[in-house]
Amino acid sequence: MNEFVLALAALMIFPGGAFVLASGLAFEWIDRKLVARLQNRLGPRWFQPLADLVKLLAKEEIVPDGVHAGLFKGLPVVALAGALTAGLYVPIAGVAPAFSFPGDLVVTIYCLSVLTLCTGLAGTNTLDRFSFVGAIRTLTQLFSYEAPFLLALLSPAILAGSWQIAEIQEYAQQHTLLILLTLPVSFAIAIIGLMGKLELPPFDAPEAETEIVAGALTEYSGRGYALFRLGRDVELVIGLTLISAFFLGGLANPIEFLLKTLGLLVVVALLQALFARLRIDQTVGMWWRVGAALGLLQILLLVILKGLGLL
Amino acid sequence: MEPAAKSGKFSIPIGPQHPALKEPGHFEFSLEGEIVTSATARLGYVHRGIEKACENRTWIQNLYLLERICGICSHIHALAYALGVEKLAGVTAPPRAQAIRTLVAEMERIHSHLLWLGVAAHEAGFDTLFMYSWRDRETVMDLLEGLCGSRVHYSANTLGGVKCDVSPRHSEAIHRGVDFLEGRTRYYMDVVTHDETLLGRTRGVGTMSLDQAVALGAIGTTARASGLARDIRVEAPYAAYPDFPVRISLETTGDLLARFLVRLNELLETYRLIRLIVDHLPEGELQARIPRRIPEGEAISRVEAPRGELFYFLRSSGSDKPDRIKVRTPSICNWSSVLVTAIGHKLADMPMLLAGIDPCFSCSDRSVRIHKKDGEVEQWSWEILRQYGIDYYR
Amino acid sequence: MRFGSKSIGAMFGEVAGALFKKPVTEQYPFERRPVQDGYRGRLVYDPTKCVGCQLCVKDCPSEAIHLIILDKSAKRFVIRYHVDRCTYCGQCVENCRFDCLSMSSDLWELASTDKDSFTLYFGSEEDVKLVLSKAAARIAMGPSED
Repeated sequence: MNEFVLALAALMIFPGGAFVLASGLAFEWIDRKLVARLQNRLGPRWFQPLADLVKLLAKEEIVPDGVHAGLFKGLPVVALAGALTAGLYVPIAGVAPAFSFPGDLVVTIYCLSVLTLCTGLAGTNTLDRFSFVGAIRTLTQLFSYEAPFLLALLSPAILAGSWQIAEIQEYAQQHTLLILLTLPVSFAIAIIGLMGKLELPPFDAPEAETEIVAGALTEYSGRGYALFRLGRDVELVIGLTLISAFFLGGLANPIEFLLKTLGLLVVVALLQALFARLRIDQTVGMWWRVGAALGLLQILLLVILKGLGLL
Repeated sequence: MEPAAKSGKFSIPIGPQHPALKEPGHFEFSLEGEIVTSATARLGYVHRGIEKACENRTWIQNLYLLERICGICSHIHALAYALGVEKLAGVTAPPRAQAIRTLVAEMERIHSHLLWLGVAAHEAGFDTLFMYSWRDRETVMDLLEGLCGSRVHYSANTLGGVKCDVSPRHSEAIHRGVDFLEGRTRYYMDVVTHDETLLGRTRGVGTMSLDQAVALGAIGTTARASGLARDIRVEAPYAAYPDFPVRISLETTGDLLARFLVRLNELLETYRLIRLIVDHLPEGELQARIPRRIPEGEAISRVEAPRGELFYFLRSSGSDKPDRIKVRTPSICNWSSVLVTAIGHKLADMPMLLAGIDPCFSCSDRSVRIHKKDGEVEQWSWEILRQYGIDYYR
Repeated sequence: MRFGSKSIGAMFGEVAGALFKKPVTEQYPFERRPVQDGYRGRLVYDPTKCVGCQLCVKDCPSEAIHLIILDKSAKRFVIRYHVDRCTYCGQCVENCRFDCLSMSSDLWELASTDKDSFTLYFGSEEDVKLVLSKAAARIAMGPSED
């Protein structure tokens, strides 16, 4: 009984559920504020993401004609559920992951992709042309960054010799410098891959405001839209946590969590502000030529070094 | 060269309401995958009947009405009109007034080109450049506010001269502002020519060769980017341009990057011109007397708006109200270049192509008489138009 | 970052430096931008110099200004000015040969929540009161023609 209550609390309140939702909103605010300050303007006040969420939840959800109503209403829920599930296996707030089992790295990465798949499905569900083009671009982008991103997150796993996030993190805590020296390329690919997953500029072709209005989510309003946005915020937190746990020497306590993830967030915000939007064909070209090649090279190097017994 | 008819399986409408367009206009692109196979345009959403309204107002009242055809090029519309009326009345504005008119026109060119830079960057998804260039644009708007009294719709012109004067305080502020803006423009030139992500969106996109530009009738900066050297300030100088000649900025590649470069180079040329005018402003009065009833006749006045050649036709029948005023704005001529060069490009390039000609939809909605191929000319009266509207919505 | 003539992130220097500078946003209404002299704000009328020539009324592009003549020989005039119709062009100021009209550079915050505050009457105190009472009496009698 006790275990059940503890497990439920971990799922709903801390570190899953309410805590990860709240930190998602907080990270969204920090990201927007940073990008605004980089563009020499003021940026929103601290409660803006919360206010957006409350407003969207209060709005009427308009279901357009010709869609499958069940899919339309259910996809946002599934997307958010996937994102929240992924949060159970990562060391959020610097505490040990709520649940941990061998192979949970793969499960986490899969759960993070559920949001993108749901977005793509939501876009093809409607009759709107903008959503259709946006959905195609979302799925195209998914196929382009997913492989290098996976390879990048796999390299510390290969080094640590385990597929369990908790064990990889322990390895990273003990061998921080080693990881940074041998895997700088994976680190860079992981950060940029996270930007692709979250469709942050310069990879926001799937929701290019000036070309296809809002991409796959054009027809969404009210509760569905709020849930999709929440899912994206949660993925921001989880992604940053994962990358800093693997490459920046693990997250031993909440202070380290804050410092490392916020440091990465500053880098992500800077990358957002610096570039023009890449066209979808340029994105795919870049990832499949540069990203995958570099990722494979890094893994190859690692395997060779490990095989030679140097690591 | 005719724009292709609707083909392809899938068509995307951009407009009338779309985040890419700052004003309403309807563009239908047929796609195969991401490649555009045909493009059609439909304008007319901002038609306000200004040319008709001009016939009920006196000559001086029309100055303010015509100024409001467009917010970005308001002074140049008023200037063209004032020059046309002065031609009809046989009056020339004094040299100081002409010089101040030229000064305000050049400052308006700065404001328009910086606005365009921001909007084009926004269409490319480069919001940082958008924010920075619009921040710097505030400098020239403050200068215009100090000189003429308003940030938009400066109302500096009057029939026969200008209403505002340049004092030593103004010229000092103008020098400071222009020096600051020149530094910023050189920085943006550097960014535009070197940043790989922006170059990837602009280099080789929307290329229009010189022959195509001539055949499609492109004018203004769009034509100058393809190597067509047309500039009314050089071909038919008006106001103070005979005393302060202008050098044309020309590029030959004809793609979007060339259009960026032409406008940025024009900005640098404008800064040089403004400094020259402010330092060598001729002395004299500001206005010449102009009668209330303009003598009978017809006049044409052509000026170089920031977007190209602006053409005014005025006809007077001797009364204090004009008989007919016809406005041909530069944006009308450039639309066909978009429709033709769009074919073969990807959908993601469409907003940038549309922004590349610096479109001003409010300027474009004038009445046009279309001659059909068999020579028949159809003209609708008010009753026919009204009946058509009733039947359309039934 | 430059690689010869190519560059990734050409705006890096400025953008990173912007984190340490104050943002340019002016937080209206707490910070107000100072207005320059000569800004064309709301109209201001000096009734003592007016002779009732109505040149200002004739050339207004939007019929925003009307002259109400109470007594022509004694030069008692009241100007009715529609703030919402005015285009702030300054033609009336330009036309007036007696310097009665000017555009204030302070009065430019002209938003309001009711339509009545957009019709202003300028003139000497008693004249304006007379006009307003006549207008009220006319409204009480029935719909007016103007």
